[in-house]
Formats: sequence, C-alpha cells, structure tokens
Amino acid sequence: MGFLVPGFLAGAALVGLPLYLHLLRRHTTTPRPFSSIMFFERRTQSSIRHRRFRYLLLLSLRLAVLLLIVLAFANPYFKRAAVAAAGDKQLLLIVDDSFSMRAGTRLTDAKREALSVLASRNESTRAQVAALGSRLQVLTEPVQDSAALRAAVDSIGPGDSRSSFAELARGVRSLAEGAHAPIELHFFSDMQKSSMPASFSELLLPPSVALVLHPVVERAQPNWAVESVRAPGRVWNASEARVQATIAGYQTPAATRAVSLFINGKEVASQNAEVPAGGRANVEFQSLDVPYGFSRCEVRIDGADTLPADDAYLFSVERSDPQPVLLVHEAGDTRSSVYFGSALGSTAESSFSFQSLTVDRAAGVSLARYAFIVLADVGSLTSQFENDLVRYVRGGGGVLIAAGTSTGHRSRIPVFEENVLAIHDYSRDGARFLAAGETDTSHPSLANSEHWAGAKFYYAVAVDPSASRVVAKLTDQTPLLLDKKIGEGHALLLASGLDGITNDLPVQPVFVPFVKQTALYLSGTTDRGGARTVDSDLELRTSKEQAVSVEIVDPAGRRPLSLEEAATAESYQLTSSGYYEVRLANGRRDLVAVNPDRRESDLEIVPGDDLALWRGNTGAEPKQSTAAVAQSEPAKPRSLWWYAMLLALLAGIAESVVASRYLAVQREEP
Amino acid sequence: MQRFLDPAVLAEISSLDLIARTVVDGFVAGLHRSPDFGFSQEFAEYRAYSPGDDLRHVDWNVFARTERMYLKKYRGETNSLFTVVLDASNSMNYSSHKVAKIDYARYVAASLFYLAIRNQRDAAGLIVFDDEVRNYIRPSTRQGQVSRLLHGLEMAEPRAQTDFAKPISHFQEFLRRRGLVLVISDFYGPPEQIVRTIAPLRFHGNEVVLFHVLDPREIRPDLDKPAILVDLETREDIEVTPEYARDTYQARIAAHISGLRHSARSAGMDYHLLITDLPLDGALKEYLAIRQRRN
Repeated sequence: MGFLVPGFLAGAALVGLPLYLHLLRRHTTTPRPFSSIMFFERRTQSSIRHRRFRYLLLLSLRLAVLLLIVLAFANPYFKRAAVAAAGDKQLLLIVDDSFSMRAGTRLTDAKREALSVLASRNESTRAQVAALGSRLQVLTEPVQDSAALRAAVDSIGPGDSRSSFAELARGVRSLAEGAHAPIELHFFSDMQKSSMPASFSELLLPPSVALVLHPVVERAQPNWAVESVRAPGRVWNASEARVQATIAGYQTPAATRAVSLFINGKEVASQNAEVPAGGRANVEFQSLDVPYGFSRCEVRIDGADTLPADDAYLFSVERSDPQPVLLVHEAGDTRSSVYFGSALGSTAESSFSFQSLTVDRAAGVSLARYAFIVLADVGSLTSQFENDLVRYVRGGGGVLIAAGTSTGHRSRIPVFEENVLAIHDYSRDGARFLAAGETDTSHPSLANSEHWAGAKFYYAVAVDPSASRVVAKLTDQTPLLLDKKIGEGHALLLASGLDGITNDLPVQPVFVPFVKQTALYLSGTTDRGGARTVDSDLELRTSKEQAVSVEIVDPAGRRPLSLEEAATAESYQLTSSGYYEVRLANGRRDLVAVNPDRRESDLEIVPGDDLALWRGNTGAEPKQSTAAVAQSEPAKPRSLWWYAMLLALLAGIAESVVASRYLAVQREEP
Repeated sequence: MQRFLDPAVLAEISSLDLIARTVVDGFVAGLHRSPDFGFSQEFAEYRAYSPGDDLRHVDWNVFARTERMYLKKYRGETNSLFTVVLDASNSMNYSSHKVAKIDYARYVAASLFYLAIRNQRDAAGLIVFDDEVRNYIRPSTRQGQVSRLLHGLEMAEPRAQTDFAKPISHFQEFLRRRGLVLVISDFYGPPEQIVRTIAPLRFHGNEVVLFHVLDPREIRPDLDKPAILVDLETREDIEVTPEYARDTYQARIAAHISGLRHSARSAGMDYHLLITDLPLDGALKEYLAIRQRRN
C-alpha cells in the first residue's frame, strides 16, 4: 500500500475547516438574555446531545468527503501481485494440434497429459481449453465443469496447420487481459523448433501467466518428406511436361528412397532417390501423361518414419488443347506479331496457339475463345471491338496493351481507360534511351524475368498510375508496366511497343520469360492447378460488384461456404490438406491441391535452454505454483483512486441529505 | 388617533405624561364610535333632590326652567380607589423589539392613571415592587397626583427578582377601603402560588385584575440555532435547541398562561394577557369594563 502522489496528502489539513465550523465556532455562541428560564429544563441537555450527535454525523461526513478527495488525489495503490497470489488461479490448457503432432502418438500423448492435469486440479479451479495451430483456437470458456473440459480436450484432432509459438503468446496475452485471476498455462506440444519465432521477445507472456510446458517428445526424430514438387498446372503435350520433386531428410541418415508418381491414384512412374544424411535429393519424371481435364497427382516416397503424412506431395494438373492467343496490330506493323509469336511459341510448356489479326479484321471476332488478347500498338479501334474487349476483360479475360507510337497519338488508352498524360521520345534526348529501373518481381509477369536493366527504351507513353499496380518503371520513374484490375479480368499495359523500334526489349533475353509469364498470368493458368500450402488464401473473386456465386468442395467432400459467403466471399483459407474443387466467380473451374507446410516435417525440438528461458526460470522445476510465480514477479501497483472518488461521492450525497434535513428544520421555524 | 395606541409609536415619545394623554385621548376618541362601552362622564338620569345631596350636582338649568331641583346623575359617578401594583423585577426588562415589558407596563399604568384621575375622578395609587416594595404612592385625587404617579412610574427601573409576598402584605396594611387593584407583572412562577399570594387582596372587597405582560418572543421564541439563554433575574444560563424552543417551550408557556388565567378566575380575579407588540386599548377597555361592572 502506498501513494503515487503523496504530496496531495498535505491537503488533509483542510479537515480543519469543518472542525472549526462545527466545534470551535459553535462554542463562541453569545449568551442571550431571557426573561426566565423556568420553562427550560436541564433535561434539554439531552436534546443538545442529540443535536451534537447530528452535528457530529454531519461533521464526520464532511471530514470523510475531504479526506477521501485528498486520498483520491494522492492516488493510493496496492501491490496487485500480492493480492493475486492470495486469490484463485485459472488453468489454461493448450494442446498443439499442428501437422507435426501427427507423428507417432504425439497428439494422443498430449491429450492424455492434458486430461491428467485436468483430473489433478482442484474442482473449484476454473480451467479453459484451447488448441494451437496456425492460430490459437479457444475451445471453452473458463469453467469448472470437468466434463465439458474433458470433452473439449477429446475433441482436439490432428490438424494440418503449422504451429506458431508467437501466435500462442499473442493469444495468451489477449486472454490474460480479460482474466481476473492469475493464469497457470499448461502447454502440451512436441516443442518443434520450427514453431519458434525469429525474435524471442515475441514469446513474452504477461506477468500474471505462469507457464508450465509439457513436451511430449524428448528428442528429435528422423523424418523424410517430399519437400516440394514442380509441375505445370496445365499441359497440352504430355511428352514435354516434366515433374521435379525434392526429397528431404530431417535428422536422417543417408538412405535410398523410392519415389513414385501417382496420377489419379495410379502409380505411373517410380525412381530411387539417394538422399544424403540430413540432406535433399531431386527426382525428375520425364513425362506427365495425364488425361484431359483435371488430374489428381502426387509424388510419394516410402517414408518408413513416424510421420507418414508428409511422404506424399499433392498437385493437380489440367490437360487441355492449346488455347489460342490473339494479337491485334496495325496493318503496317508486322514486327510485333513476329516477336511476340516467336517468344510465345518458344516456351516448352506453352499451351497456347498464336494468331495475329489486323485491327480491321479483328472487328467482329468472337473474343471468348481466346486465352488472352494482345493489342500491339493499335492506333484506332472500332467502338464495337473496344466494347467487346472491355466486356471480355470484365468477364475474366486478360489483355496486354503495348502502347507504341500509334497508341501514343490517342488521348486515351483503349480498354485500360487511362488518359495519355505525356509522350516521352527519349531518342531525341541526349541520353538517347532509358533503361528499366525498379521492377516488382512479385508480379506474376516478372516471376522469372527480373533482369530488365539491359533493355533500352526509346519511347514511352506516360499514364496516370494511381488506379493501377506499377510493375516496372523506367529510370525516370515513368511507369513502364502497369497492371489494372477491370472486373474479373486484368489489363496489362506496356508503356512502349513490341515492334523492336520503340525499344529493344523483343531482342533481349528477358523477353521470352516475360511473354511466357504474362501469357500464363493473363490466361489465368498461374492461378490454376499446381499446389498450395495449408492456411494459404485462395482468391475467389477480384471484384465485389459481381454477385456471382462461387463453389468450393473441400477434401472431405463438404461445401464449407454458406450461401451468403458463396455470393460475397473474396477469398477462402485452405485449412486442410487434400484436393479442393473450386468454381470461381469468373466461371472457371479449378482443382487445388493443398499440402501442409513442409517446415512441419522438420521434427527437431527446441533446445532445453530455450524452453527454460521461455518459462522464465532456468534452474527451477518446470511445475511451480502460481503463488511462487507471483511472488517472484515484480509487483504491479494497482491504483485505488477510483474507489476513493466513489466513496467521496457517496459521502457527499449522504452529507447533502443530512445537511438539507438540518436546514429544512431551520426554515420551518417561524 | 388609534395609531397612538401602538406601543411602537409610543416608544418614540419620551414623556410619560404625554404618552398617557395620547393614549387616553386616542382611546376615548375610539370609544365614541363604539356602542358597547359607556363613559363615566356621560349623562345617565335625573333624580329628585333630597336633603343631604351634594348641591354641586344640582342641575341649575333645570331648576331655572322648572323651579324644581334635580340632581344630574352620571355613570360611574361613584369614586373608586384604584391601585396599580407594578412588578419592576429584572425579568420585566426583557424586550425583543423597541418596547420592553417594563415600558409597556408603564404605558398601561400611566394611561390608566390618566384615565382614572382625569376622566373618572378615581383615587389612584401605585406600588412598585420587585422582591420588596420599592415605591408606594398612596391613592388620592389630589392635585398633582397624576404627576406623582407618573414620576413613580419613571423611577421604576427593573432590578432584583419578583416576590409577590412582600408587596401584597404591604398593600394590605394600607388597604382600608374597597377598590380596584391592578397587578401588572410577567408572573413568572407557579400560577397557583401567585394566585394564592395575591388572593388576600380580595378579602376587603377589592376587585383584583391581573395584567399579564409578555413579550411576543416569550411566547414564540425565534431560535434558529442552539443558544445559551441567561435568566435575567437569577443569571443562570441554559443551552436551548430550536426544536425545544419551538415545541416544548411553547407548549409549556401556553399551559402556564392557561393555568394562570384559570387559577385567577377560580379565585374571583380577572386576568388579561398583554402582548407588548399589541395596542394598549385592551388594558383600558378591561379597566372600564370592570369599573362599569362595579357600578
């Protein structure tokens, strides 16, 4: 107990004022002469005593008001920890249900130990159960009902998420803020090292939380896993498709593992991989002979370890005929179609057939059959064709616009719907040309074409980039490549031409991967097929305007989205491994393969020193009483000023009542 | 003229003689408009002269016209012995406004003297007492009696305590002829004892009237906070609360007044309560009513 601002206690001298008014001042009453006091009796002194008592009550209330106000300003406090130590505690049981807990009997052991902790607790002690995956999932409120708590523990099943101890600490901090008693946190986990955050400070727990760790394994266990698979999401020529798989061994001796490729549950190829001790080996399958449509593929190894769930890596492949790509150009521009068509056809996994038309012939063509459209520096478009193009893009199509000299003469970029702000003809400047400056390599178009610095740009069109994503800029900060969402589709604007005149990009090595990635991006192939990791988000729609329903069927065959969510959800989190069948808002269907995060396959555990450091007590027993923890913690002062002000208010009200009654008596007197 | 009966107005007049004349003149002026009260100078009847009658009362005008002698009779013609017994103890010095009780008693006594001697031709006397007889002026109708009585009143300054026994016994020594006795006092004491002490005055056929003079604040004290009250006679003090003064005291003083009135009337005496902030005509009316009754 103490005072945060003891200087205000000097204000207690104010109590002298009511003391003077009630006691000293009252005794200075001047005697009044009266004819005879024969009708006043000595027993009236009892009345005086009654009056004095009421005076004393009023005096006491006034003194209390003053003292409480002074006390409130002095801000008294007491040590919260000392009080908390004497109070009740609350158990918080958190069971790790991440993917690594599937290894052996880890999850079963963790749940059994959690149940034993529940059984040994005092019945009057409240407890709460939660599960830790990628986030902390609270399963019960703090209750004393043992049956409910046991049921909550029993309901915890193996998950596919990656656990994060930082997320655990964040969740516990949030729970501790709302708890009125100290928390004894019991954490049941395999203490996987990969779950530790980069910074130890992220594990910090509030002082009111005492951490008790329950590791279910004592040492790291060897584990082989298919770490990753590279395969095309769409193929049209099975003989040219390749599947590359990486086999990783964690704390494993050197071994030979049999690696098999399964397509739709049927093993189509098998190889042996020499996996070094604790290392990786790559395996490549030369063909991917899948039937038309989506195929469920997986690469599997003979793991023979405690975690068989990571011995297979799922991916999906769609086989289809090559999709046509239309390039529209001016009649006098034949170079653009040559450069772009050559680049598109040179990619081994290209599933596109190239077609070029002049502006005049393109009018009236049905655009829906094309994977994407390229406008190669067109100067003029018929309004009907432009409207068709806009409708095509809004419906989910993609268009690449090369703004060369012909487009630069227009005031507005077609389809992209941005005005031409300026035209930069660098060939007439002293520098003669500009190079590409900043590039956003996270954009799918530049995924494998980072080195744009060698290209020379002699001409560029400047547009307002505020409504677009700037993927690349020239060195003078003029936007070079811009991506803009239009409806469900994308429009990609290259602020220069494809004809090799306004720049030399078509003859640069970076051009072919740029065309390939752009083709995959605009045709939507990059978003399809392949494989994703658990807890990643799947984009369902790019526009909020369209209320087209999406459809998801999860690996268990359920439809996890409600009707409202299906009409409005923009993304969906893939929470379990397996194949998701998806119909997106743009009408495309997809098969998404989801695999657990392979960092969960590394079963190395956190060193004991780190765990001791996390517990905050390096030398003591893991299990310690809450009281002991509370005593060792720095006491947290808890202010009492609010209570003092509340009491002062109550005393003030009582003083008003007593004083008003006294004054009312005086007013009634004639 | 009625305003001159207001004690607050009279307090502005320093001369007791002038006060008495003002009161009586105002009072008489008021009576002329009143049908209830006669006046002793008013004509009552004619009576045939018989030998031995005072020739001064013969109506010579009637004799001149009729050659018969008639006596002119007036009301209250009979001369009375009128004595005022004035309490001049310290308690009479109490006042809550301009007029103290002793002043009010002086005004009443002076007015009665003036009325009795100048208008009624009664023999008026005065006894001033506290715990003993301090002044005694024998009842008389002599020239200058009014001045003597008024001087006696002016000299009656309050002091000491009240004791009725001595003045009453002293008064009895001089009382040889029946008359009217007015006792003016605040009568602080047990009513039965007061009446028992005063009652012997009636033995000689005297008419005894008690004029009970009280200040309005003695009936309704105005305490707004606890106060220490000091008895003017005994100098004792006591602490009093407003509640007690408002409730218990007022009930007790009312019971005292009622008891005194009842005891006095039981003993054949008249009782009249005079409040010092009320006009003086009540006392004069009482006097005339008694005198009329006696005639």
